[in-house]
Amino acid sequence: MIAQRAGTTALRRLAGHPNAFFTANVAKFGVAKPLSTSQARPGVQTEKISNSEAASLLAAQRLRRPVSPHLAIYDKGQTWFGNSILTRFTGGVLSGSLYAFAAAYLAAPYLGWHLESASLVAAFGALPVAAKVGLKTLAAWPFAFHVVSGTRYLIYDLGIGFARKTVIKTEWYILGTSIVGALGLVLFL
Amino acid sequence: MASIARSSLLRQVAAARPASSPSLIANAARAAAFHTTAKRSLLPPLPQKIEGTVNDAARVPPPSPSHGSYHWTFDRLVAASLVPLTVAPFAAGSLNPTLDALLCATILIHSHTGFQNIIVDYVPQYRTPRARKALIWGLNAATAIVGLALYEFETNDVGVTEAIKRVWKA
Repeated sequence: MIAQRAGTTALRRLAGHPNAFFTANVAKFGVAKPLSTSQARPGVQTEKISNSEAASLLAAQRLRRPVSPHLAIYDKGQTWFGNSILTRFTGGVLSGSLYAFAAAYLAAPYLGWHLESASLVAAFGALPVAAKVGLKTLAAWPFAFHVVSGTRYLIYDLGIGFARKTVIKTEWYILGTSIVGALGLVLFL
Repeated sequence: MASIARSSLLRQVAAARPASSPSLIANAARAAAFHTTAKRSLLPPLPQKIEGTVNDAARVPPPSPSHGSYHWTFDRLVAASLVPLTVAPFAAGSLNPTLDALLCATILIHSHTGFQNIIVDYVPQYRTPRARKALIWGLNAATAIVGLALYEFETNDVGVTEAIKRVWKA
């Protein structure tokens, strides 16, 4: 740093007192330019353009800008596997199943299907135990998760539990409770 | 390299580059080389379109309590009333027809507003207005069909709670 300043000071002194030997060498080594106060930006040209051209250029730039914030930039633990989206997924699966079954139930007489509770019970009862447990788990976990997590969101709406540590801790409690609850529904009910 | 020779060195590097086209587009293309973020085609955004200029004021939708705080409070009341209605059949073993019908109706409203929220979140009005309209009316139709089906199930069959209980114990 000090050596550089010394060099700069020497050059300034030179600029003040021109000397044939030093001035020639300064030009040769290409260090005279830094003393200049104007900046050169070779390779970058500017153009005078009209207002309408500027507007269309701006529009073209806006079309090319990236979409932000994009889903891919976030931590997957918070977006794809976070409680928030899992609550929406499980709710969508449960309600979607209800809608699909209800529509099929209404269409059943015209299509010759049998979706009355008696035939459903008979069909489900005829399944092997592994299939029963599997299907029950597929229904029970989304239900348990949506109930527990949905209740947590209702508590959020009261303004409770927003501390960062509480949020992280309750996410794990909710996951654990939903798994235990689903197993309880499947195995003991 | 904070030295007095710095700018001269930079000038040499710049001079070594091939001379670029004078047009502005060419300069923009060169600047694009500095964008080093990897391109991911996960959920690619729809093509963007330009409306108006950058100096236009943001459009403010007309305020409507039925789309705002009332809607929010109504959603929460429905969700909260589902808590006792969900716990009751586990505590009592089953539900009487009135409570079962109440549970079905509340679940239907909860599902309807939930699907509405999903459509509003992911199908923006300003970008895909026709898809938005089609989905909202499709949802309305689906909810009406499901409401009719639930009525049929409640009146002609054993009721939703009892049916789930029987299937579960089959």
